[in-house]
Amino acid sequence: MSEVALFLAHAVALEAEAAERYDELADAMEVHNNRHVAAMFRKQAHYSRLHLAEVMETAKDIALPKLKPWDYQWRTPEGPESAPVERTHYLMTPYHCVHMALQNERRGHQYYADMARTATDPEVRRLADEFAAEEAGHVALLEQMALSVKEPEPDWDQDLDPPVVSD
Amino acid sequence: MTVQLDLSAQDFKSDVKPIWCPGCGDYAVLSALTRALAELNRRPEEIALISGIGCSSRIPAYTNVYGFHGVHGRALPIAAGVKLARPDLTVIVAGGDGDGLSIGGNHFLHACRRNVDMTYLVMDNEVYGMTKGQASPTTSPDWCNSKLTPEGTGIAPVEPVRLALAAGANFIARGFAGNSAEVARLIVEGVNHPGFSFIQILSPCVTYRPEERDWRQMVHPTDQQTPSQTVAEAMRHLADDDGFTTGILFAGSRRPFMPDRATKASIADIERKFAS
Repeated sequence: MSEVALFLAHAVALEAEAAERYDELADAMEVHNNRHVAAMFRKQAHYSRLHLAEVMETAKDIALPKLKPWDYQWRTPEGPESAPVERTHYLMTPYHCVHMALQNERRGHQYYADMARTATDPEVRRLADEFAAEEAGHVALLEQMALSVKEPEPDWDQDLDPPVVSD
Repeated sequence: MTVQLDLSAQDFKSDVKPIWCPGCGDYAVLSALTRALAELNRRPEEIALISGIGCSSRIPAYTNVYGFHGVHGRALPIAAGVKLARPDLTVIVAGGDGDGLSIGGNHFLHACRRNVDMTYLVMDNEVYGMTKGQASPTTSPDWCNSKLTPEGTGIAPVEPVRLALAAGANFIARGFAGNSAEVARLIVEGVNHPGFSFIQILSPCVTYRPEERDWRQMVHPTDQQTPSQTVAEAMRHLADDDGFTTGILFAGSRRPFMPDRATKASIADIERKFAS
């Protein structure tokens, strides 16, 4: 298995897992009628899929290995751009959503920057450098967006009647 | 020759959207489970997923394998019945710490010792979430955020993996929902290991136990290169367990329970016996 194919398999999984997680979070927010945040997560899923399509285009002439979920060599417990499930809340606000996406993109950038520095194959280093630059662009965009969202009150998650599962 | 089915995790998800609270670790367990099912190379109709009652016990609805959302605490006997009647099926049981270790605690002990070939996933959030946050059997004694136990329960919690080992489970593992790929691996290993496999999955309830978000910083992989294969060795390791060690903690070699299925008497024979 070539190092380039392995690297691209990771890049595909990184974006696919991020998109899937954002969709799950959007679904969850819709169930709890937090429509604004749901729409924001849905948009993030869309962007992740656009990036996935770009990676797939780069990899179109390369046979990618089929890895088991636990065979991916991330530096984080999950794919670097997958939002940590437990960091969400049904009352979360656009502020939290943007900052969560920002953290995810920063981890993605860090992953590619590390690969660009440490990979032994020069083609992997070149691709990783290119992907890191793209991720840096996403980080910059989200940092801009973060300036425009209002920080919520400290008691934003207080609910006198917390949810109960209902059929 | 084994045919590679090439199914994906998506092939094992149903169209029903989960109604768990956003942030619930059970989302990641569902993701881990469907990824594991895709790796098992079995068709959805060759798998049965049995659950009890509680937030996590809703999981069969979110998959498209055969499912049975059973009675509170009674998932294990139902699952044992399914496996004994249909040994060709892969049987997975799922539920929470309250369902499995309190209401179903007695069934848990006997499922461990009976050692029927099935895999039990306990999504442990140390709280009854569906009923709005009461102390469960795995809640620490000083947790006092429930109106029912404002000064804590004052009772030592059940320690699921030690209990499973003492009761005779043949495979014991612990995972953290925040590492769904690792949980998928544990599920695959558990299903492939003969006998009763018990997997405790630390699954934060961010609504009633928001402090469980910190579990991500508290979990750590086992330092064992290979899982303990004897009860004595596993006991020694678990004696120092802080409750956050993840990985395969025990892989025994007991023969799974499977009664002789050969027909020994007809219904008429049995009726004659009763009549005599």
